[in-house]
Amino acid sequence: METKLQRVDVLVIGGGVVGCAILRELSRYDAAVALLERNPDICDGTSKSNSAIVHTGFDASPGSLEARLLAEARELWPDIIESLHIPYLQTGALMVATNAEELATIETEIIPKAERNGVMLRRLAREEILEAAPYISPKIAGGVLVEGEGVIDPFWTTRAYCENAVINGARVFLGEPVTGITVEDECIYVRTGGGLTFAASMVVNAAGLWADEVARLAGDDAFTITPRKGQFIIVEEDHGVSQIILPVPSRISKGILVTPIVFGGVLLGPTAEEVDSKTDLATTSQGLNQIREGVSKLVPAIAEAESVRQFAGLRAVSSTGDYIIRSSTVHSRVLHVAGIRSTGLSASPGIGRYVGELVRDELDLSLRNPFMDELPEYLTDIHPDEGEVVCLCRSITRGEILAALRSPLPPTTLDGLKRRTGAMLGDCQGNLCMARLIDLFQQLGRDPLTLDKNVAHSCPIVGHLPNAGRPLKNPEPLVLEREGRDE
Amino acid sequence: MNDLYDLAVVGAGLSALSALRAGIASERTVVLDFQGAPGGFLKAALPAPGFEESWELIQSFRIPREVTTLFETTAVGLLPAFEPGEPHVLIVRQREGTAQIYARRVLIACGGLELTREHAQLPGTRPAGVITPILVHQLLSRGYLPGKRAVVYGDSRYTQATAQRLVEAGIEATLVKPRMIEATLATTQPPGTLRSLAEAELIAIEGFPRLENVKFRRDDQLFDLPADTLVYGTGMMANTHWLKGSGIITEAYGTIQVDSSYQTNVQGIYAIGTVTVPSLDHADSIAMGKEVASLLAGGTQ
Repeated sequence: METKLQRVDVLVIGGGVVGCAILRELSRYDAAVALLERNPDICDGTSKSNSAIVHTGFDASPGSLEARLLAEARELWPDIIESLHIPYLQTGALMVATNAEELATIETEIIPKAERNGVMLRRLAREEILEAAPYISPKIAGGVLVEGEGVIDPFWTTRAYCENAVINGARVFLGEPVTGITVEDECIYVRTGGGLTFAASMVVNAAGLWADEVARLAGDDAFTITPRKGQFIIVEEDHGVSQIILPVPSRISKGILVTPIVFGGVLLGPTAEEVDSKTDLATTSQGLNQIREGVSKLVPAIAEAESVRQFAGLRAVSSTGDYIIRSSTVHSRVLHVAGIRSTGLSASPGIGRYVGELVRDELDLSLRNPFMDELPEYLTDIHPDEGEVVCLCRSITRGEILAALRSPLPPTTLDGLKRRTGAMLGDCQGNLCMARLIDLFQQLGRDPLTLDKNVAHSCPIVGHLPNAGRPLKNPEPLVLEREGRDE
Repeated sequence: MNDLYDLAVVGAGLSALSALRAGIASERTVVLDFQGAPGGFLKAALPAPGFEESWELIQSFRIPREVTTLFETTAVGLLPAFEPGEPHVLIVRQREGTAQIYARRVLIACGGLELTREHAQLPGTRPAGVITPILVHQLLSRGYLPGKRAVVYGDSRYTQATAQRLVEAGIEATLVKPRMIEATLATTQPPGTLRSLAEAELIAIEGFPRLENVKFRRDDQLFDLPADTLVYGTGMMANTHWLKGSGIITEAYGTIQVDSSYQTNVQGIYAIGTVTVPSLDHADSIAMGKEVASLLAGGTQ
């Protein structure tokens, strides 16, 4: 196979929230930058399936790189939210103690740690909590409020970082898993599953769950990443919940939370389960029961609520405990950004800035002029005659769908369209509008038989009807042969 | 567009068409529907055995000329009248954008949405190929095959008709009735083999990126049905999201409560069909349409 060599200054591996935040920072510089993502869309791993909290880092280990970058991110978020038009709600988080022992933990551990991390907490008595939030279990003993915590849309954030980088000249290659890395003195060669070869001056490994395997391709086995599964339940009715409700963490886990969703509804979870497979996203009865049990101690009414959807995500846990942001053991210009655990979304502005500056200093880059650090409002360039509703459950119009399909980083899959527009996210889970959405993809030139739901081999259509073009014959009466039926 | 109507009918499916055929419309009546033509979501599944009355209604009935029809027009909000005598206001979206429709009476007949595996909180993976009947019909009507080996789960006539349609399209389909009986459909095409299994309950979905297996439990025994497609057809919920904030009371599965004359908790706003009983049989939707017409025809209060 003939492969064309693509020369770049910096190549980012991994299109999650961390890789895309880094790509945006790199696009500030006068350099050729590109990003590789193994899946057909960005934000298809850990970044899409999490509790969507912008966390202050009040409970991070003081002095760790994670705590430092979370603190820097706190300063950067307001500008990013404004200039990239990211939906965000500063809900605050309420940590509730269910007994005297947990109340003591708040005093002896949580509050001192938060103070060392520069986050102010406010003690609340049991009565104050129940007056302000009557949905909380009356069995609680008291709690503490973290005002700076908020919720955001993780996909929107990742897409906005990436689109902003693209309009500043960054190139994005989707569906291109890295299959080989060859390190030479002045150049790092990276080969992909799609047959591309990149020659990069510097490589940033932001491959999330797969960061250890990418490192191994370069001959570096200094760390391992293990998946930790978190299951979630989405509930449409909020039962009045307007804040993040947290239990007091145990030594093992931060516990099961109740988190408002930025577009409405409430998220329950996550579980924290060590699993073997980096692709195991199945939900289980045990996990879902564990969530409802955990929630019943915080907000009893919501523990019983009907669910519109459940899902699981995998966090990338490193063998070192902290973030791994450093050069590879095999080459100073292979930079790992790995083990970002569950705080990647929250810390992404800090990580992006920090890594951007490390690369700038290493390659002696200067700022690009001009740099566009804003995006236009999303999906507002609607044509005047495209206003009819296509997704009934969510009232998403044809114009919004077409605007997403024509955007700088258009979706290449049905799930990509879902995450960009909200279509197919309602009660019918897309069964009502999917065929119509496939038509719209086709209208813009996409062959429906190649249109996957998400990853390769997930096309909802497996072929054409043998009698395509002719109407189905009038069916004959249903014949159900029965045996051993007790009536 | 800002004309005042005597009656606005939201939806042009079976129950609405039945009410219109039974003469519910006055001169100043408007009918609006999300789709581009009347017939509701059932239309894509027809003709099918057992649905002769529905098919006849959709095929032969034409909405009278004096009735204003607005297709590709979706109700997204309802502001009930503040005082008796004032009109209700429907907020609708159509090609040209958002508009308002004023009507003295509103008949909500906008049907239902099919329940998915998520409502049952079924554990397992989330692969391609786990769908509901409406998508089967919409894909087949476009000439697309949704799969090659399907398990169809549900016991309504509609779900059975969906299984039948898959078999006609050359797909191997196994119908599993929840807690009742399971049998492979036999048709003139490759004859299916017979199995019957009582009390089969769907318990898990397996495979990724495409469905590979559906796990069932019967009594205390687990068994597998390998398949690339699961058609989950266990029932409906009311299509009433758009009434949020309107003051119309909805209950479990979005169901609208009505009195014996099909009036909701708001005077002058009525509801019929699946929005009032999500498990309603299609024949009953037609009967309900006739009955509401006899109660409401012509009058303005």
